[in-house]
Amino acid sequence: MTAPWKSLLHFIPYLKSDVLGLFGLTVIAAFILVGITAPYIVPYPEDAWGSTYNVERRLQPPSRSHIFGTDEYGRDVFSRVVLASRFSLIIAVSVVTLSLIIGILVGLIAGYWGGPLATTLMRVTDMFLAFPSLLLAIAFASILGRGLFNLIIALTIAWWPWYARLVYVQVNSVKNMPYVEAARVSGLSSTTILVKYILPNSLTPATIQAFLDMGGAVLEAAALSFVGVGVKPPTPEWGLMISEGWHLIGTAWWVSLFPGLALFFTVLGFNLLGDAFREYSNPKTRRLLESRGVKL
Amino acid sequence: MPVSLGYIVQRLFLTLIVVLGVVTIVFIATRIIPAHPEFLWAGPHATEEQLRKAREELRLDEPIIVQYVYYLKSLLQGDLGVSWRTRNPVLKDIISALPGTLELAITGFAIGIALGLPLGLLAALNYGGFIDKIVRTSTIAGSAIPIFWAALIFQLVLAIKLGLLPGGHRIDPSLAIVTGFKPITGFYTLDTLLIGRLDLFIDVVKRLIMPSLIVAIYPMSLTARMTRSLALESLQEDFVRNLRSWGVSDSTIIRRYVLKFIIPPLVASLGLSFGYTLVGAFLVEVIFAWNGLGMYIVMAILSYDYPAIIGGIMIVAIFYTLINAFVDILHAHIDPRVRL
Repeated sequence: MTAPWKSLLHFIPYLKSDVLGLFGLTVIAAFILVGITAPYIVPYPEDAWGSTYNVERRLQPPSRSHIFGTDEYGRDVFSRVVLASRFSLIIAVSVVTLSLIIGILVGLIAGYWGGPLATTLMRVTDMFLAFPSLLLAIAFASILGRGLFNLIIALTIAWWPWYARLVYVQVNSVKNMPYVEAARVSGLSSTTILVKYILPNSLTPATIQAFLDMGGAVLEAAALSFVGVGVKPPTPEWGLMISEGWHLIGTAWWVSLFPGLALFFTVLGFNLLGDAFREYSNPKTRRLLESRGVKL
Repeated sequence: MPVSLGYIVQRLFLTLIVVLGVVTIVFIATRIIPAHPEFLWAGPHATEEQLRKAREELRLDEPIIVQYVYYLKSLLQGDLGVSWRTRNPVLKDIISALPGTLELAITGFAIGIALGLPLGLLAALNYGGFIDKIVRTSTIAGSAIPIFWAALIFQLVLAIKLGLLPGGHRIDPSLAIVTGFKPITGFYTLDTLLIGRLDLFIDVVKRLIMPSLIVAIYPMSLTARMTRSLALESLQEDFVRNLRSWGVSDSTIIRRYVLKFIIPPLVASLGLSFGYTLVGAFLVEVIFAWNGLGMYIVMAILSYDYPAIIGGIMIVAIFYTLINAFVDILHAHIDPRVRL
């Protein structure tokens, strides 16, 4: 099973012909690497965690010792921007993984067994989808209160329905495939069929989608922190840092500019890779690519 | 082909169910999840007396199901509670803030489509070429930009550094006081024309330019991307190849055939994206001190004004559901292949 994974294997060599996609992949790799190593590589670790207040170097413009300048508390903006990637990575991975798990459970149950249970589950999913996801997340985050954990929960509540729908559609299209019929006729139990045949074939699209959605999760988390329902200060988080520099924009633009740039490039990386993947997996554009001599 | 009445009724019924779901989710979020809903309702500095009153108002001593029935009843009467920041009924606040948001979102949306459609067509006609690469990159970049940050940077460069455009507010505050400007419809561009003040109108339009351009980034990227891929698809159809071999020019093919092909699906997905444009406008409002629903909700968040936060979000969700229903009906109207 294999078709989707096989196509994924060919995707990497394909990227050689797609500069933008390759750039996206590089940015994502850098984001993950920096996210993991951040605490050990930042020049001012105490500033990065936010526990310091250095009056003597408040709001200094970018210089050799502080390449992104310093913020209102005299903290090194560069160190904070770098460490923030770790929090964004944690948030994005958790939100996407949790949402995917819930989405798979709901989509699988509704898609495979059908009947009134399926109708109910999918109706509930639709109701969650009736909210613009950012607003639903704001509503729950404001009730749960600020904090990293609550932010993850709030975003997950807003995100799972997308995967539930995706998995549901996928399961429905897979469950009537000839090989599933064959398994059923040969007397395999429905659990075996579900785990061995339906699950793997329905998961791939949702998993790929989830990975590419991590950029969106980073962006939404930042928006929540920006409006004041995300992580608590002094956590280094790009959205929160932008909002901390907001009232200083006329005098100390660097406080908001650099976290925003980091946020932008991270999301851009995921979007570029996602776009390259869509271009690659869409049979219609594929034909065009092939006619242009691109090897697939 | 006009849509049947049956379809419309069916779609509206579905909408009603979804709206009921929306208010139920809000009920669960505000009454069942928090341990003490009365704290949310009465605000952080509430006295013992106010808390007692809130408990009574929410009927917290009664079973959940009874609470739910009373909750639905008060919603039907338009009672979303009282904002304790503004001391107004929440619904009244929302109604007065809505036109500001709509004016911004609709202008941004229109600009986005007007720019995105030709860009998408241009990219499709140059598939794989230089223009295509530029359009593709910029539309992807457009959907990656944190809108609140873009608003801040625009404000810094265009208003603070260059002084080209005003950096905030829907109308010059002192001018509004001097002229005694009072909103009639709430759409300031319309209001200033209605009272015949051209100077005020120009001021309002100037203030609308920057925020609406930022709001336009998202719908523009989406329109360009959708148009590009839909046009690519239809340009590969046999009839297009035939037309080309007959010597019909590209512009005629686009105008007479391709557009017909791409408009129905475009309407469907753009309609859905209006909701996102609206939420994007919220974040832009905050930066530009733009008197609208987004600013109302964020101010409410900053002062823990829960009736206002929840009421605002609920109204937007209901509004969003109605837009989706309208778009679906419109889509069915222009594309007879659509069935529910």
